[in-house]
Amino acid sequence: MNASIHCLLLLGLLVAAPAHAADATDAALLQRGQYLATAGDCVACHTAPGGKPYAGGLTVPTPVGNIISTNITPSTNAGIGNYTEQQFRDALRRGIRADGARLYPAMPYTSYAQVTDDDVHALYTYFMHGVAPVDSKPAPTRLPFPFNLRLSMAAWNLLFLDGKPFTPDPAKGAAWNRGAYLVRGLAHCSTCHTPRNLLMAEQSSRELAGGAVGTWRAPNITSDVNSGIGGWSEQDLVDYLKLGHARGKAQAAGPMAEAVDHSLQYLEPADLQAIATYLKTVPAQHDPADTRAVGSWGAAFNGMADQRGTALPDDTAQWTGAQLYDAHCASCHQASGEGSFDGGLPPLFHNTATGRADTGNLVMVILEGIRWTNDSGVHMPGFAHALSDHQVASLANYLTLRYGNPVARITATQVASLRAGGAPSHLAALVRLAMVVVVVLILAILVLWRRRKRRRTSSGQA
Amino acid sequence: MSGQLSADIVVIGSGIIGSLAARRLAQQGASVLILEAGPRLERARVVAAFRNSPIKGNWMAPYPPSPWAPHPIYVPQDNGYLKQAGPYPYPAEYIRAVGGTTWHWAAQAWRLVPNDVRIKSLYGVGVDWPLSYEELDPWYQEAEEILGVAGADNTGSPRQHPFPMEPVAEPWSMRRFRERLAPAYPVVANTVARNSRGYDGRPACVGNNSCQPICPVNAQYLGINAVEAAEAAGAKVVPNAVVFRIEHDAKGRIAAVHYYAPDKSEHRVTGATFILAANGIESPKLLLLSASDKYPNGLANSSGMVGRHLMDHPSTSLTFYADEELWLGRGPQSPSSINTLRDGAFRSQHAPYRLDFTNISQVLNVTGDLIKEGVYGAEFEKQLRWRAARQVNVKNVLEVLPNPDNRITLSAEKDAMGIPKPEAHYAIDDYTRRAAEVSKADFARIAELMGGTGLRYSAEGQFANNQHITGTMSMGNDPASSVVDAFGRTHDHENLFVCSTGVMPTAATMNSTLTGVALALRTAEHILPAKNAHAATAHSSHEASLA
Repeated sequence: MNASIHCLLLLGLLVAAPAHAADATDAALLQRGQYLATAGDCVACHTAPGGKPYAGGLTVPTPVGNIISTNITPSTNAGIGNYTEQQFRDALRRGIRADGARLYPAMPYTSYAQVTDDDVHALYTYFMHGVAPVDSKPAPTRLPFPFNLRLSMAAWNLLFLDGKPFTPDPAKGAAWNRGAYLVRGLAHCSTCHTPRNLLMAEQSSRELAGGAVGTWRAPNITSDVNSGIGGWSEQDLVDYLKLGHARGKAQAAGPMAEAVDHSLQYLEPADLQAIATYLKTVPAQHDPADTRAVGSWGAAFNGMADQRGTALPDDTAQWTGAQLYDAHCASCHQASGEGSFDGGLPPLFHNTATGRADTGNLVMVILEGIRWTNDSGVHMPGFAHALSDHQVASLANYLTLRYGNPVARITATQVASLRAGGAPSHLAALVRLAMVVVVVLILAILVLWRRRKRRRTSSGQA
Repeated sequence: MSGQLSADIVVIGSGIIGSLAARRLAQQGASVLILEAGPRLERARVVAAFRNSPIKGNWMAPYPPSPWAPHPIYVPQDNGYLKQAGPYPYPAEYIRAVGGTTWHWAAQAWRLVPNDVRIKSLYGVGVDWPLSYEELDPWYQEAEEILGVAGADNTGSPRQHPFPMEPVAEPWSMRRFRERLAPAYPVVANTVARNSRGYDGRPACVGNNSCQPICPVNAQYLGINAVEAAEAAGAKVVPNAVVFRIEHDAKGRIAAVHYYAPDKSEHRVTGATFILAANGIESPKLLLLSASDKYPNGLANSSGMVGRHLMDHPSTSLTFYADEELWLGRGPQSPSSINTLRDGAFRSQHAPYRLDFTNISQVLNVTGDLIKEGVYGAEFEKQLRWRAARQVNVKNVLEVLPNPDNRITLSAEKDAMGIPKPEAHYAIDDYTRRAAEVSKADFARIAELMGGTGLRYSAEGQFANNQHITGTMSMGNDPASSVVDAFGRTHDHENLFVCSTGVMPTAATMNSTLTGVALALRTAEHILPAKNAHAATAHSSHEASLA
């Protein structure tokens, strides 16, 4: 690291937090910064597949177009090496780049706004001293009009950014407050789990009631017993966050598997416990469609006996759900769907994957499987290449009927849509339409106003 | 299929070896066409067929032969495809289908031991290979990384780089063997192309214990994975293309191959370079079938050695009851073995061998035995439980020396397409029989250490076949005594290469697939060097080509 950066760094530290100047490179501080960066899962978005950590370049599909993550290594020409701590803090908590331009809220600064000054300082120290600089710049993000106008985000922030850092609730215990701080702040759970309004802002009144992440659904994780995690013990929640599965309840797939893989599994037990403590108190958001706990449906069932002695149809498109289950699933999940004795291969009943009325995630996990990157682990192989849309639907309907929510249905059309990346977003068109409406309205008001003025003028003359 | 096919590289045979050679060449930008005599199988159908069938012990059951590309079947009776000329039978099993015989294998992916390639110099038996173990090492490594090989380090096969994966979890039965046979016999994890963790998009083994006839979860690397990898690299596969003749030009270069479609329509495929990778039986058959006026003894056969030196690994075994419950059947079918007898001065006197423990569930065998014995009712259940928990088996895997009289020839009998069937001429010599005799003492000692009762040795003079088809197109430096050179190029035809376990000049004591793949990758590099080939490889190729 060159001298000028040190000067900048020191300057930033002196301005921001002089008490910490002496231990700027202190190992403990660096370690805490690294831990917080892990808790914030910065690496998930700021690293391209197979790329260097934090060098950016990952394409994040959003309803308004693809956003390409930036290089946040301390490189001075490609990354954030020239950032002062104040600039770093503004980016993290207010969504403002060093050059003054606004970030898109794909960067969860509405959550990171909760992060305390002390933690920002540790993060800054880590990113400046603990991360290897990478001097390559990813391609810039190019969104369609009007989202290419970054200034529009200033208005968005005015409406939707609550800039106040976390303030503990003295009525609650230390664990609850720690959990609330992590859930609302660095762990940015609401980014996926809170539904968004038409302008893609989180609906704070429906905290953690469930949201969409591309083709995946981030489920309701409020304290509602049926729709959320109200029926889970704190230990279930800790297990889930640590291991990626809670026995007899659910397992992380899709983006949640990534979150566990990159971030949550590395959190200290006390922090995981704190998150669980807090989540259990999040106000319940009930979905009337959930007539019982989504993780409580079904029972062991052996559909194989009906198959035995019957020749398999020559055309695999004609195979029944049970026959497809026998060929593709039963070798791991077992003939009765009971999984392995230790729960490592999960049972398919008492499993949120088959218990939800919304079957999107069931289809997604059959198509994509569950893969972790850190241990090269294929926790479940995907079957996108092996099964047609029709076959996925037949199989998934067998699963919900026999092991899950029997009224849940899957259609081949739904599978085709999810396989293709989900229904296209009309947000850009909507916003453009809204802008036209606003312009027309303004013109109309102007016309009316001028007419009235003219009328008033003429009447005055009268 | 109509119209004339053509490619830079034409590969005959889509097994694990041909497909991985094809993949490597396609990755270098060559156009590659793979011709496969058999049909394309769907993994799910094989799994479902196996699971849905009451016949669990017949590993060929899910792979019925196609009428146009038959393969040998012995159960319930011999279909007469591989003719036996004797004096000892050579009942090879193989699969003619896209992906080849490794649709069902135990995924044993062993390296040789260094002395295996120098037995003539060291022990005065067999022949030396035209290359050293050190030259093979980087190719083994490349093969192991493609297949995803898990293994232990102490098996007698040195390596420069670590295995891609830790050994697969040790089943309880194997742990008890390891504990109770120490220190007399070190029992170590087998070297296998089976995932101990997620690898290359395939999951870890979950212990279904049906490696043969099919790994139901794709934790074990199969030929079909190699086919799909070759296709992903740009190679094209033509199934149901029964090659029956290789055509040469006036200069002796290969100009084309001819195949029959199932309707017996004839097709001609041209190319610049040809790779014969149709296993150690079908490949020599095809070379012999392609005899012409210029080559009356068949192609690549100026030495007369095509089809000769047929080898396998015969086994004798001991079955007994251990004095504790071991419950074979949890985990892979063949997890552990004893490797200390793979090499030694004794090789001048008798064959070396590996001692291998089965971990196949004994429930089926024991049930059959009890029914034969007339046991029924409550006693049946009691006996089944007792025996299935305790019955174990140890077998030897014996080396066979290359003998020109052991050979594949063309039978006078023809298959449904009018193509002569292969005929095996085979015998097991005293060198191998002596080792079987010596190994009996090991069997007895192992049984003793396991508190064994009810000892049942395999019948005297009876050897089980292990389906490791080797020899028949041996490599060597001397065109008068070998079929291909050290790089798999036929001595007689500049643009015809052989990728097969058939090029192995000796069989050693190890399952032959990994060596076949390593040699094939080396052949592919020789045909079209990879831009980023490992330095050691480039160095050794260079030296070898100067030599």
